[in-house]
Amino acid sequence: MAGIKALVGLSFSGAIGLTFLMLGCALDYYEVYWPMFVLLFYAISPIPYFIAKRVNDDTESSSNACLELAYFFTTGIVVSAFGFPLILARVEVIKWGACGLVLAGNVVIFLTILGFFLVFGRGDDFSWEQW
Amino acid sequence: MSGFLDSVRCSECIDWSEKRNTIASVAAGVLFFTGWWIIIDAAVKYPQTENLNHSYHACGVIATVAFLMINAVSNGQVRGDSYSEGCLGQTGARVWLFIGFMMAFGSLIASMWILFGGYVVNGTADVYPGIAVFFQNAFIFFGGLVFKFGRTEDLWQ
Repeated sequence: MAGIKALVGLSFSGAIGLTFLMLGCALDYYEVYWPMFVLLFYAISPIPYFIAKRVNDDTESSSNACLELAYFFTTGIVVSAFGFPLILARVEVIKWGACGLVLAGNVVIFLTILGFFLVFGRGDDFSWEQW
Repeated sequence: MSGFLDSVRCSECIDWSEKRNTIASVAAGVLFFTGWWIIIDAAVKYPQTENLNHSYHACGVIATVAFLMINAVSNGQVRGDSYSEGCLGQTGARVWLFIGFMMAFGSLIASMWILFGGYVVNGTADVYPGIAVFFQNAFIFFGGLVFKFGRTEDLWQ
């Protein structure tokens, strides 16, 4: 039952984040849709973790070079999601206000993804293989 | 008198030593990719080769190759106490790491050279591309150091 509550909360915050992103793109004052490409970063950010998790399944050793490489790449994707709208704003493709909205959406959505892993990642009752 | 923060134990609720490798990896990722985004910023702001010579990008590429080389061998292989010899053995690991660190230091020094020789001394109006090249290489260099030495390989011992 706790899983349902967490799922509802996480989907709510994900919707909030996507709303920020859409506001940054679609308001009449901004009306430039280039920041939508951060959706790609959202989509690929968990992939290194999944790959590393599948490659080595032993979790007893706390030093795990493969998993740390995955954290490194995930961090890179997150940093890229923040750098992309900043660069767009710096070359004046989008306005700074739109950039701020996209950054706020980034924060909310990445916290949502992190929350997903914290809530569902380690529990045995909910594994990704069941899907 | 009892304060309302008395029951907060910051050092106990999170075990930092278990998380050390994760934190080091994330910090290295932040440094490395921030460095690359800095040079992307400079490249889109100054697309002309008079402002930012395109050959200056080679510096960051060398730094990235050095990053990969440094982190491709583990500390255990250099000390010789790993289980397997690897393809080149301990000497090979040492030579490989030596070349990697030489490329890392070399790219850092070269970026300083670019900053001062290409921008500051010439009296160029826009020094920002030189600063971006320097910061890119500094971030990549320190990211490599954090990823190499921030992580421990023998937490279970």
